[in-house]
Amino acid sequence: MLNKNMAEAARKALSKPAPYGPDVDLSKYDVLNPRRIEPTEILEQERVRDASGRLGFTPEMVRKAGYVQVNEAYLASALVESLRKQGVVVMSTAEALRKLDIAREVAWTLIRPDTDKYVATAYLYGKEQGYFIYVPPGVKVRTPIYTCLLITRGMTAQLLHNIIYVADGAEANVVTGCSIAGLHAEALHIGVSEFFVGKDAKLTFAMIHAWSKGAVVRPRTAVKVAEGGRYVSYYMIYSAVHSLQSYPKVTLGRNASTSLYSIISGEGEGIYDVGSSATLAGPGSSAEIISRNLAKGKSRVVARAEIVGESGPSKGHIECMGLILSDTAYISTVPLLDSKNPEATLTHEAAIGKIGEDQLTYLMSKGFSEEEARALIIRGFLSVEAPDLPPQVKLSVDRVTELISSKGHG
Amino acid sequence: MSNEVLRVEDADIYVAGKKILRKVNLSVGAGELHIVMGPNASGKTTLLSAIAGVEPYEVKSGKVMLAGEDITNYPLHKRVEKGLVLAYQNPPSFKGVKVSEILKWLRRKFGLDSSFTESLAEILDIHKLLGRDLFSGMSGGERKRLETYLTLSIMPKVALLDEPDSGVDLDSVGRILEAIKLALKHSVSVVLVTHSTHMLNLVRPLTNTVHLIFKGHLVFSGLYDEVVPLVIKRGFEGAAKVLRGWS
Ligand SMILES: Nc1ncnc2c1ncn2[C@@H]1O[C@H](COP(=O)(O)OP(=O)(O)OP(=O)(O)O)[C@@H](O)[C@H]1O
Ligand SMILES: [Mg+2]
Repeated sequence: MLNKNMAEAARKALSKPAPYGPDVDLSKYDVLNPRRIEPTEILEQERVRDASGRLGFTPEMVRKAGYVQVNEAYLASALVESLRKQGVVVMSTAEALRKLDIAREVAWTLIRPDTDKYVATAYLYGKEQGYFIYVPPGVKVRTPIYTCLLITRGMTAQLLHNIIYVADGAEANVVTGCSIAGLHAEALHIGVSEFFVGKDAKLTFAMIHAWSKGAVVRPRTAVKVAEGGRYVSYYMIYSAVHSLQSYPKVTLGRNASTSLYSIISGEGEGIYDVGSSATLAGPGSSAEIISRNLAKGKSRVVARAEIVGESGPSKGHIECMGLILSDTAYISTVPLLDSKNPEATLTHEAAIGKIGEDQLTYLMSKGFSEEEARALIIRGFLSVEAPDLPPQVKLSVDRVTELISSKGHG
Repeated sequence: MSNEVLRVEDADIYVAGKKILRKVNLSVGAGELHIVMGPNASGKTTLLSAIAGVEPYEVKSGKVMLAGEDITNYPLHKRVEKGLVLAYQNPPSFKGVKVSEILKWLRRKFGLDSSFTESLAEILDIHKLLGRDLFSGMSGGERKRLETYLTLSIMPKVALLDEPDSGVDLDSVGRILEAIKLALKHSVSVVLVTHSTHMLNLVRPLTNTVHLIFKGHLVFSGLYDEVVPLVIKRGFEGAAKVLRGWS
């Protein structure tokens, strides 16, 4: 099933490091053969409940999820009848590549298998695990489609290829939770994601990550937004991690727009190298990149952001805020504006600081304990106005925000 | 005084290690209104903040008693729980923290009396501010009304109001006065710092005691008519001289 040329290139890229983040030896992880599993098999496992619970996903949400992956096993649940009738598809990428032209047409067109060793590994050994979501032209799916990618077995290499295709005039809200059972587990997660947003279509994508001290996480995401389309992503990580490095790239056509939010809460000794990049390729396009970065313990957080103004008139704005909660933590913001067109208006603001003593004291003067005051200030720092988020997704996001701010000490 | 709620005894008062006031004595009864007067930088904010326990202000020697309990060494939020609250002269602004969130929290923590807080919110015209970020981008008057509201809403034993009327328009001064009246009616004792003759005129019938601070001392505590007209006529220094034989 692999394309010969791509496979060849991928093989050569197996030792090609990524430009960012620490280089990781991938050979120590176990690659398992994909298999389909039964709902009961998944939902009754305690470790699955543990992992999904850390995402703030209730068992009910997991049961209703469109796609659940546990280690190498997956479950694409039957969609509600009404969606299926309208032609909405949620299945594993492997199955989609066997059955659907559209899947074959778009797969690996946004991300090259030889991008780096992580993508190459996913391409060569992943066997196209991951989810494929298709929303036909004009169909607006308002209820969020949940997908849940879990690791419950130590030393697992979870290699995924996800595709979302929202056709012209269509709309979808996808929520992906990625988590691991056990706070110390060692594992590798590589998620290659290719998203296509059609003409005047809209995709809202929320991703929540809860990993472990030993987790190596390398998402690789590329998004293409056609004329008049809109892509909104909301990314949150609020757990320890060994290292996480991702730098999603969004390309915007004429009059297309994107808002990319990331909320990073670094802890332990984790390395969090997270960015967002948008290319204003079509006239009238606009992008905003907003990030909130929190660093506790000895964590190192690098917040990257890049907007490339290729055509004009166009508009881009980066807002990158950091809050350091301990003397041993580190935050670096790297905003990059790159203009190739005089009609592209690009701006950025960035600030890093600590919790203001005057704010803490003020809240305490109204009866808050120091801890309560800290939590409130952190919650305020993390709460960004994201008007596109559907209410149910907003609830998940708020729950996570609550979790982060309630453990606000360095 | 049998119904005394706040008592400051021989307190030396410091800010950031610097002595601002020496040997301060003060006694406030339940439901009383006290006014603190003094020139700019004389230590009014310092006095109120030190009593409330707000850092870097502190009482170094002497005692602060609240309803008979020695609270000199209590941390800030504990004093609030005991019923002693300061309204800041200049509260800081917050991003992402909604006024409604603070109120929700206060309600949960202190079990607010809803008929009291509703009247208070009405008087201080708070409803429009509920969805706003705490003090962010608020006008001077909005800040003052909100800070007064947050301070009084928990119906403390003693409310220390540091210039709730400065920079406030005439209508709003009236609102703040009404709020103070409502609090007094509910036996809240109020210690008020003000510079405005308008406010001073309004509170005259309600005032129990006026304290005058000058050159590092609380130089005089007495009746409104003993102090205020003298200050208006002769200024702080003149009044201090007359009242204390200052030279
Ligand atoms: N944090 C601080 N560090 C050092 N000095 C301070 C600090 N806060 C206040 N002071 C000083 O203490 C003195 C008293 O200040 P305070 O704010 O109590 O005056 P005030 O009577 O409230 O004046 P105003 O009428 O202007 O509000 C002033 O000289 C002031 O500069
Ligand atoms: Mg003052």
